[in-house]
Amino acid sequence: MISLRSKNKEEGSRAVTRARPSFLGLALSLPPLLLVLIFVGLPIFIGFTFSLGFTKGPNRIISIIGQQIHVKNHWWGTFAAYSDVFHDSRFLGDLGLTLFVTVLSTVLVILMGLAISIYQRLIRSKQASVLVTLAIIPLFVPVVISAWAIHTFYGGDGFLRSFFAQFGISFPTLTSTASAIVIGSIWTSLPFAILMISSGMQGIPDALIDAAKDCGAPVARIIGHILIPLAKTPIIIAASFTAIGILGSFTIPLFLGPNQPTMLGVEISNFFGSYNRPQQSLVMAFIVFLAASGIAILYVWSNIKSAKESGRI
Amino acid sequence: MLKKTVWKSLALAAVLSLSIGITAPASHAGSQTIQVYISADTNIQDLWVKTLVPAFKAANPGYDVNVTFDLHGDHDAQETAKITAAAVLHKDPGVDLIDGGFVTTLGAAGLLYRPTAGLLPNIKDVNRTVLAAGKGGIPYRGSSVLLAYNTTNVPTPPKTLDELLAWIKAHPGKFTYNAPSGGGSGYSFVQTVVDKYLSNADRATLVQQAAPDLESKWSQGLETLRQLNAYTYGQNGTYPANNAETLKDLATGLVDMGTVWSDQFSSALKAGTMPANIKVAQISNPSLTGGASYLGIPSSSTNRTAARILANWVLSPAAQNLIVSGTLNGFPVIPLNKLDPKATAAFTGVDIQNLRAGYLSANANDLKSKWASTVPGK
Repeated sequence: MISLRSKNKEEGSRAVTRARPSFLGLALSLPPLLLVLIFVGLPIFIGFTFSLGFTKGPNRIISIIGQQIHVKNHWWGTFAAYSDVFHDSRFLGDLGLTLFVTVLSTVLVILMGLAISIYQRLIRSKQASVLVTLAIIPLFVPVVISAWAIHTFYGGDGFLRSFFAQFGISFPTLTSTASAIVIGSIWTSLPFAILMISSGMQGIPDALIDAAKDCGAPVARIIGHILIPLAKTPIIIAASFTAIGILGSFTIPLFLGPNQPTMLGVEISNFFGSYNRPQQSLVMAFIVFLAASGIAILYVWSNIKSAKESGRI
Repeated sequence: MLKKTVWKSLALAAVLSLSIGITAPASHAGSQTIQVYISADTNIQDLWVKTLVPAFKAANPGYDVNVTFDLHGDHDAQETAKITAAAVLHKDPGVDLIDGGFVTTLGAAGLLYRPTAGLLPNIKDVNRTVLAAGKGGIPYRGSSVLLAYNTTNVPTPPKTLDELLAWIKAHPGKFTYNAPSGGGSGYSFVQTVVDKYLSNADRATLVQQAAPDLESKWSQGLETLRQLNAYTYGQNGTYPANNAETLKDLATGLVDMGTVWSDQFSSALKAGTMPANIKVAQISNPSLTGGASYLGIPSSSTNRTAARILANWVLSPAAQNLIVSGTLNGFPVIPLNKLDPKATAAFTGVDIQNLRAGYLSANANDLKSKWASTVPGK
């Protein structure tokens, strides 16, 4: 320590003092932290108490208006609203569809993202860059526009059906099916995944790939043993962001999915608005919240791991 | 010293950043600007913004109208909560006049300024029963759900609900109605089929008060609707998401028949988005529902005098003519003989004075929920 300090002095720079835990730093981070606590944390907490049947205080107004409100019968509340949701014939179908669409779309998005990124990394040509640029375009199209575009493309009077009808083939109508939700989800999620993964791939030094090539490693081995492991963190980040985005999606399943079962994002909105059952819609929201938290843990874990590997913590 | 200043400025910054989020909008007590809140489809937005507001301002110089628009009533629940909360706390809700489906809910909760002939002179021309049904809401235009049909493929449309149900089964994939939670035209068809199996007394009860006990009687109608899954468009138990999609399916020829709102259909016909070979008709026994749209003045509004002047003007023959003849083609709420005969010529054939009412919103919400759990995809 002393030698380091003297060395610095020799080089004319100021002495490096160890950072003390500073209240200034805490104070600087306090305003945003307070904002998050008050405007995000508190409403979540109040919502949670409402789902448990606490209908007084901040929940008074919504309890006057809502239908099928359960009032707590224990000091800790009641699970009646939770029981409502789990006994509703719609809920399991909705949950199943939500998880199915989330898992399938995320897997497909990551596979497609990997394919395009690896192609761009290995073949550093103009065409590859053009491909990546094209793949990112949907990022700049609002979801509601793209959902409507997909609807008119795959709908009963859409392009595909009209095209195939010219040859006497009756192409199936994909709108109002789970397939259409998956197509829409991939369309909207792919650009971000490609941005994440391809930037991770770009950071891998050429030397590693060249060395493997010199040793005679086939392309599959370079991908499986060098590219994917070294880009693991961005891949996990892309996967968790994609999954959380699809889990809570609303516009795509509303426009492209069947009326029933539907994804939980749409069902929550139906319960809150059309059926006027705010308590039950909150229960569903907490279930989505739990699922998203599971994915978020994966994301945090991967972030910490990469920070440790790079020696930041 | 320096540290102390830093602390102080930080505390100030924290307080400021918090207060930005909390500061309530300034009150507009006694102002000449009337805050109008519309929860409807875009045709109603056009009616206010392009037709009624400019004409009102021309007739009443010095007044200004600020329109807030909520598409399809997506935020009805929040707005209801806001107005209820404002009434409980005796605060100005920031809204002086509401046009939306939740007005009658507010009226039933006693949160509206009751319209009387003394305060709103023009209300004397309005049908008494329609006025009473508003529970404090001011009826200002009417509309009905009608059966739209493609004259090329359906020369004579069904006259009764039974004939319509028979037609649907005889022509698989050629009829549709939208999900009741997505729009009133589909909801009307669902209520009409359910009502087919109810007595007149039960129907009347469901219109007037919350009646959870009667809801079990819906099962027969819901079963009829479930059986239609194999015959409606798509033939797989999927339904258009909203009113607009039903209109689009009719216009593009995907279906030959569907239920539509009279005003939306007329607007589409005028705009050219609906071909001329699509026509509308009413069915009977029971008929598709319709009714008045109500304006509401929240009792806690501090600017209710100005709101009353606007509401009274909307009921005048001049404003009713605009509602009838403009792009909306709404039904008037005052007698036809007070209006321009040219504008009312379109109403021959549709009985606009005897519209079958929809359920009270609490019952309607339950019906939407029951439909969703028993009909689509089953």
